[in-house]
Amino acid sequence: MNTVFPYPVLTGDITLEVTAVKLDGRPLPLSMISRDHKVVALHEVERSRWDEARLDLRVVLPEKELADGPWDDVACLAALTEASTNARATARLRRSDAGWWSGSLVFHRDAHLTRASLTVAVAATVDGESGRLVGMAEESWIVELDERIPARKQELNIHETDFRNGSETWLQTFQDAPWVVETTGDMPTVHLNTGFEGLVDFLNGGGAPVERAVRGMLAAQIAAEAWTAMFNAAVGDLECDDEGRPQWPTGWRDGVLRSMLPDVLPDLSISDALMEVHLRLTEGGWQELQPRIQYAAARRAKTPKNIANGLRAMSRDVETER
Amino acid sequence: MSTTSRDLPEQIALLPDVVASRYLTHSVLAGRERPPQLALIRGSEPMGTPAARWTVEPLRQLIDVAMRRHDGDRATADAWLAPRLHATLRITRREAADTRIWNFLAMVVAPDYVLWRHKGVTKEGDRATTDRFVGLHYKQTFARLWWAAELFRDGDDYEPARLACENQDVLNTMLRLAVIDHRPTARAVVRLLEKGLVRTGRDVNALGTAINTAAGTLVYDVLAPDEAPDADSRRYWIDEAENAGPVSLDNLPFGPDDGCVPGDSVDELVRRFAQLFAEAPVRGKEEGRIGTGRSNEGVSLDKTYSPF
Repeated sequence: MNTVFPYPVLTGDITLEVTAVKLDGRPLPLSMISRDHKVVALHEVERSRWDEARLDLRVVLPEKELADGPWDDVACLAALTEASTNARATARLRRSDAGWWSGSLVFHRDAHLTRASLTVAVAATVDGESGRLVGMAEESWIVELDERIPARKQELNIHETDFRNGSETWLQTFQDAPWVVETTGDMPTVHLNTGFEGLVDFLNGGGAPVERAVRGMLAAQIAAEAWTAMFNAAVGDLECDDEGRPQWPTGWRDGVLRSMLPDVLPDLSISDALMEVHLRLTEGGWQELQPRIQYAAARRAKTPKNIANGLRAMSRDVETER
Repeated sequence: MSTTSRDLPEQIALLPDVVASRYLTHSVLAGRERPPQLALIRGSEPMGTPAARWTVEPLRQLIDVAMRRHDGDRATADAWLAPRLHATLRITRREAADTRIWNFLAMVVAPDYVLWRHKGVTKEGDRATTDRFVGLHYKQTFARLWWAAELFRDGDDYEPARLACENQDVLNTMLRLAVIDHRPTARAVVRLLEKGLVRTGRDVNALGTAINTAAGTLVYDVLAPDEAPDADSRRYWIDEAENAGPVSLDNLPFGPDDGCVPGDSVDELVRRFAQLFAEAPVRGKEEGRIGTGRSNEGVSLDKTYSPF
């Protein structure tokens, strides 16, 4: 949630899980549902004609916080959206005795093109105002409809080393930097400078809520820089066929482009978006694209959420001290 | 520069963005040259199985009538054409999200209409901008009309869509906001227009901003639940294109009968939006209202993709 809310919102975790999928009433093999990557791979179903999909959902809310807090008429809503078709399908979930919320969301293939996003919002009456947004799922799910490769393939090395005295001498010139992102090899790497006092301990540490929240902000900043660097590198490395059309790269570059392009150029199909970024870089218009790239990187890095949570935690801390 | 029907291909095909853009030269945009039809058709992919709904002729007829009837005030053609285009070109949202259909209409079927409707004074001289030929769903000449009809209709009733298209700022501002993907929200916006609570372009822009901002803290789906449109009815309506005659030129056609927007939900949002609008700052509200239904072409409300 990237807004600062003028009323109390949930701080506990809201987790969403797709437990089963049916296409036209037939259950889909569980292998099509990736809990790790939060992807439902409908595009891998070897069934070209289907009309209706039903997703069974389970959501866990911070029940204790909800019970103790100032929220009434709590509603849990799942929404599946896709920008290119302006589609929006929703389902109200019901609380079960077991303590989680569950329900089914139905959508139609006719209303979707490539990739839909599934998320959960919690609404409640707060201070007499109904329908207030008080929480959203930490991570949304992706329903892939028209691609061969699941988009959530992330590959990123974290490498802790002392920039001044480490074995990679090229890092010596960055010895006063807390981190550096390298995108040349087969795998992009974030080099964290252990010589930067306190940094690595802080990033790996536990600590109070405030400390965790600040760590979230810092981690988001590092991640946003990494995503931006990876995107720029992937576009810069594109190779073209004889007719000048850029080819999809392999490895992490493919994953980065497929996951970021829909946010960088949300109104183009993914292959047209690839062509477009290539043209922008080679023929002009690259600078105008930078805010979109930063936006897409910030989304991957969850910067808005982490900053909002960090600010919230700090303001809460200040309030308790008073 | 008129395109007579005998020059036209029989069926709509799919023209990729990259091919279409290649021929959007200054001369084409300024109307001094026609886009090279043969090359464009060669660069297009056929639609698969031929079907009545892909027939070019009925669309071309509508476009000719629109130009004939609305030559005095061309912006008024939008409200006339949008529902008729939607009822003639019967497609799913999945199909409508494919920009290649719209490229083909603009570049091959009716480039003259694009210029007739959107040619104007720009930095580069008197011409239409490229995004009216190949562009986003709220910019491209035909896509914006089709999507406006799709998002603002109330089941088979196109009247709200017609009303929405009468106000250029609804097309220019509202159409790009993700909040109107929620049907009761779209319906409530038009209800405010019907009631005369929202009139001018500035009103519409202020309302759009207010609704969009409030959507950051209010869950409209919970306040105003919608019922999922009936996909089978829509499919039936699309298949019926095989049997449907041309749409009426004088009466509004009927859209897919896929279910009305729940009235209670619309009422609830009308009440809330009216309140939001009353509190919203409207540019020029104090200095007395100026009733421009146009201008604000370049408002910078980017469509937000957060679903809430």
